[in-house]
Amino acid sequence: MRVAIVGCGGLGNVHASSYAEMPGVTVVGVCDIEEEQVRRTADRIGAPAYVSYRDMLEQSGCEVVSIAVQSYLHKQLAIEAAEAGKHVICEKPIALNLADAREMIDTCRKNNVRLFVGHVVRYFPEYAQIKHQLENGTIGRLGVAHTSRIGGHPGHARAWYFDDACSGGVILDLMIHDIDFIRWAGGEVRSVYSQRAASRELDYATATLVFESGAVANLKAQWGYPGPFTTAAELAGSGGVIRTDSSRSASLQIRKTEASASGGPFVEVPQSPGYESPYYIELLDFINSIREGREALVTAEDAYKALEIALAATESARTGKAVMIGQDTRKAESV
Amino acid sequence: MKTLKVGLISFAHGHAYSYLNSFLALPEVEIAGIADEVLSRVETVGSTHGIPLYEDYRELLKTDIDAVAICSENVKHAEHVIAAAEAGKHVICEKPLGLSVEEMERMIEACKVNGVQLMTAFPCRYLAAVVNAKQAVDAGEIGDIVAIKGTNRGSMPGQWFVEPHLSGGGALLDHTVHVMDLMNWFTGSKVTEVYAYAATLFHEELKVDDAGMIHVRFASGVFGVLDTSWSRPKSFPTWGDVTMEIVGTKGQLFIDSFAQSNEVFSDAAGKGAWSFWGDNMDHYMVKGFVDALLSGKPVPITGTDGLRSAEVALAGYKSVQCGQPVSI
Repeated sequence: MRVAIVGCGGLGNVHASSYAEMPGVTVVGVCDIEEEQVRRTADRIGAPAYVSYRDMLEQSGCEVVSIAVQSYLHKQLAIEAAEAGKHVICEKPIALNLADAREMIDTCRKNNVRLFVGHVVRYFPEYAQIKHQLENGTIGRLGVAHTSRIGGHPGHARAWYFDDACSGGVILDLMIHDIDFIRWAGGEVRSVYSQRAASRELDYATATLVFESGAVANLKAQWGYPGPFTTAAELAGSGGVIRTDSSRSASLQIRKTEASASGGPFVEVPQSPGYESPYYIELLDFINSIREGREALVTAEDAYKALEIALAATESARTGKAVMIGQDTRKAESV
Repeated sequence: MKTLKVGLISFAHGHAYSYLNSFLALPEVEIAGIADEVLSRVETVGSTHGIPLYEDYRELLKTDIDAVAICSENVKHAEHVIAAAEAGKHVICEKPLGLSVEEMERMIEACKVNGVQLMTAFPCRYLAAVVNAKQAVDAGEIGDIVAIKGTNRGSMPGQWFVEPHLSGGGALLDHTVHVMDLMNWFTGSKVTEVYAYAATLFHEELKVDDAGMIHVRFASGVFGVLDTSWSRPKSFPTWGDVTMEIVGTKGQLFIDSFAQSNEVFSDAAGKGAWSFWGDNMDHYMVKGFVDALLSGKPVPITGTDGLRSAEVALAGYKSVQCGQPVSI
């Protein structure tokens, strides 16, 4: 399988590294408008560099395009790839509004190519285990759930995150991970109520989702947390509770006595190592779905639904009213 | 040393046992009587400590006690508080203070008219972590408060707590009030809008809600959310929690009130358990009540504090009905 990657930032490089070690996959091109950035990635994995996306689509011979650019550019690049007959693997969120997301799904279907969206949390072993145990009945019927996803503000490194029109803010960019996970675990969502405070230092949101089943979840997402990136979840059911917390699952602690670059008296690096990264497992599932003509663990329609809920949360935070979901009852369709 | 003569009205709420022990530990307090319409409930504590028992609380109120602690079923709080006030006794009343704003206003007014003090039993204000967090916030260590997320998750209490004609509500009422009082106290602002969801999700047979999620917005603009659910299963290592995460403009803090616990694994218990070893909040709350009365100072947590917290839970039930936020 010949794969090309557009966007050589943080996630683009994660994609590149994952494909580079994936059996039967060749990276035939990497693209970025920043020449120095694309050159670094190209040199690292030994793939041709492109600064023109059009050139890469026409010349690289790729069958699949992996899109890891700013969220507001997803639609345009996905549609160009689809119209060139390439399968599309796109980072989350699928788009920043439902019309764009629907157009991406429809264009891919029309051009007979697949569309996948990188809701990677489903591939994190701790979250996959929760889903599995919930389905096994380990905690009975789901009642009340919590999720938390907090870290530094990415806008300080990449300013487009500060602009809701480009990133969608903390709900569309960060909370959407847990929105997809909790919908996967808890089923369809009936209503959303959300509150948000956003500034350049802090983008904090809390959203309460009521499921069709009657269960309820509170999702918290924060940019500008003064601490390490941390994720956590708790699902309480009629027969038990499952909890996960990345700050408590560091299976390796390395402490060095020498002073750190920041001048501290010691360096502390907690890690939770695994043999395969969740990103690798996710991208391999997408590639194998193309090879085998089957659904992936997360579909484009799932990504559409997650966006719908995220937009409802954003609207609720703006208007102060609860927003009902599911007026659109279109059945999930294979893309 | 001045002595405070204290009576207790009703042991329907199990907190009465802890409050009694806290009073007994204070040399300046004399426990002069316990009234309970179910005498069998208090016979053991009565004989153990040699305390006179009354089946009718009005008989206890006729004695020369200075103050009463009321731990009756929620629905009886108003009757007991107002009777105590009219008998000239100071009152500490278990939460929630009352079941309607009008009722709580009458309780507060009765105490005022009769020149007695009314305290709402919010022991969480006396958790050492809470006291220190309040000092940190007041000192500006995390800047201005932006948002708060709290949990007061618990186990299903059973008994009269799940009988709506005695409790007046389920988990949303029972477990909103503690942390809501803390949110009121920390923000120094008043809740103006409430959105809530409540349902019976964990124990299908119940006539009251056992799951609740409640959002508030304060006049200051601060917002908060609180999980009030009785969601701890029998297998959980402890009864529940009181947590509060406060996000500020210059930092944030997290209170996990009962984190001061050892992990105990006992084959006899059949499960692991978290065994709390931190300070006893009830002791310090009761001492706060006694100290205020003996020194003639205002009680540290008032009836109005009880009203400001309970009215949020009551508004929460209205929000559950309409599915939208409601104003207070």
